[in-house]
Amino acid sequence: MNEQRVAILTLTAALLIPAQREVAAQIVSKFEAGQYSVSDGVLPASTIRLAPTFQFEMPHAKLTARGSAFLSDQQLQIADGIVSGTFTSPTVYGVRAEMIGNASRAVDERSLGTDQVDVQTRVHVLFHQNGGVWLGGGVARPWRVAVVSSADVTDAGAWAKVGEPTAKFGVATLTTTFTNFSFSKIASVHDTSSASLSCSTAAPMVEVSSDMRALLSESPGVSACERQSRFSDLEASLRWEVGALELSAAMGHRFGDSYDVTPDSRRWTSATATVWLSDRVAIIGGGGRQPALPLRGLPARSFGMAGLEIAYSPISKTAVPVSLPHAVLVRSFETRPAVNGMQKIVIRVGGVETVDVMGDFSDWSPLTLTRRGRDLWELALPLSPGMHQINVRVDGGPWMSPPGIPTMRDAFNGEVGLVVITPREHGSR
Amino acid sequence: MRFRRTPFGAPGSRRVSVRAVRAAVLVFGASVTLRTLRAQETEPDRLARLDANTRFTIHVLMDSAEMAGLPSSALRSIALQGISLKADSKTIVAAVRQELANLRTARTTLGPVEPEELTAAAALLHAGAKPGQLEKFRVRQRGRSDLQAFTIWADLITRGVPSEDASSAITKLWDDGADDATFLSLWNNVQSDILRGLNPGAALQARVRETPGRPPTAKGQPPEGQQENTRSE
Repeated sequence: MNEQRVAILTLTAALLIPAQREVAAQIVSKFEAGQYSVSDGVLPASTIRLAPTFQFEMPHAKLTARGSAFLSDQQLQIADGIVSGTFTSPTVYGVRAEMIGNASRAVDERSLGTDQVDVQTRVHVLFHQNGGVWLGGGVARPWRVAVVSSADVTDAGAWAKVGEPTAKFGVATLTTTFTNFSFSKIASVHDTSSASLSCSTAAPMVEVSSDMRALLSESPGVSACERQSRFSDLEASLRWEVGALELSAAMGHRFGDSYDVTPDSRRWTSATATVWLSDRVAIIGGGGRQPALPLRGLPARSFGMAGLEIAYSPISKTAVPVSLPHAVLVRSFETRPAVNGMQKIVIRVGGVETVDVMGDFSDWSPLTLTRRGRDLWELALPLSPGMHQINVRVDGGPWMSPPGIPTMRDAFNGEVGLVVITPREHGSR
Repeated sequence: MRFRRTPFGAPGSRRVSVRAVRAAVLVFGASVTLRTLRAQETEPDRLARLDANTRFTIHVLMDSAEMAGLPSSALRSIALQGISLKADSKTIVAAVRQELANLRTARTTLGPVEPEELTAAAALLHAGAKPGQLEKFRVRQRGRSDLQAFTIWADLITRGVPSEDASSAITKLWDDGADDATFLSLWNNVQSDILRGLNPGAALQARVRETPGRPPTAKGQPPEGQQENTRSE
């Protein structure tokens, strides 16, 4: 377990190390800690959950490292880590492509742990920034689980956004996802109702190892066989933001035969509420049921949790590329002197996914700001002394002049903001 | 003993179609993503997005600016702004020509000032100020910057303050020795008055009257420590 403990500690420490300014501008991170109650038979009934997350963002790519550790009686009960890389193309005529790669490991005291590498591609079609659909496909390769082949993963989904962040009832995002998994696995010769099952014609009966036997709940001397399996998950989720409150709820159903889907994974429902006490501190509570994840060797579980989220730079939880063309939502804009002659652009805007600026300093190419708080966005720039023209946009919407600074008409019948950097501001630090 | 047939049929029937769809999506998505990223990495000059004639015209105008000792980067910036805003070639060329003309006028009016001041003055002329109104700024205290004054001036014109009113107000404060904070304070006050429904020109005049400033210097004479830009194009 030392290896996992070191990994978790390293990831947590990484959140606390101050980085260079260029790197820090692209880093977001958060840390969750709280009491976690489960009923899966693997973890003790009540554990402490620590979950650091670390993300490095670039304009069209991001790298995420996420971990969770469950502690009980000062012992690490289960550790789970995942590293993800995502490449996203710009949106052209409402179409956006996305490539996702994940490598994950889950370890608990009971088993050897499981590993998985998967690659997935999605094509998104956005409708007027308030809705969209996607189609995706990929391959997942697990190790040290009952699954013995690569798994074909195909998914499709649709989302719609209702309301606006400034509206009385906030904004809600509805998402529906259909995911199909197809793979070969080592399975018991009996299904969950003790009925005998046939093996695949091309797959003979096999002797299973003691670890696998434990997973299959088989007795010594009893054989299992390799079998083609498939199941599909249909899940509907709702994310609702109103004021300082964020509610997330999901419910799903798993389709598949009884030897592919255990009864405890047929249906699931979960809900989480987050109340933001400040830009960087939130209280989280929730509970529900999660289905089993056969590819990762994780069983179904019912859970309840209450905790605290400390977000050095919180990561957006929205799972879909939601966009809202409302630059008017920008509440404030300011520039502050930063280290080494840099200037930090600080923008406050809530309920959006991306904030970009462009101006003469960037040769009028968009630069994406980094989320530093729930509605706080920042970017460090090497602005030279002088007058600079700048525009801002949110969620890929229209370019507009930032609020709170002088403006003028530009040469193309638009409006542009004006920022003056004095030599004193430029060399103040 | 009960046997069940696998629900997926013979291997190679439905699985082929699932794999084909998955492979197609994978290849399409990968090619779109990689092509876009590669295009962004290898793009040498965004001016290359313009057609050959427009690009040639822009380069000629930039050369003219450099030969006149004017900052060609300002012209390039205007062209790039036009490209980002997806303006047509004709509009971009017209905007760059106008910027060059404004830079020339600013240089003639202000004398040999720093490039950033020249660019700010050109922007002010674009906003609607008249060249003669900039004459006052030919004389300035050593180390004193008129950038903030120009910025507020341009904004006031944009908000509907008559050019003459904006000019006289800014010039008065400048003569009174107002600093950047004073200009910003004036702008904040006028902006809030306009939002309350006041006439922009009237709001400016009222706020200028209550804005403190240093006593003006003797007319026509630069105050102690000030210098005059004597060279002009």
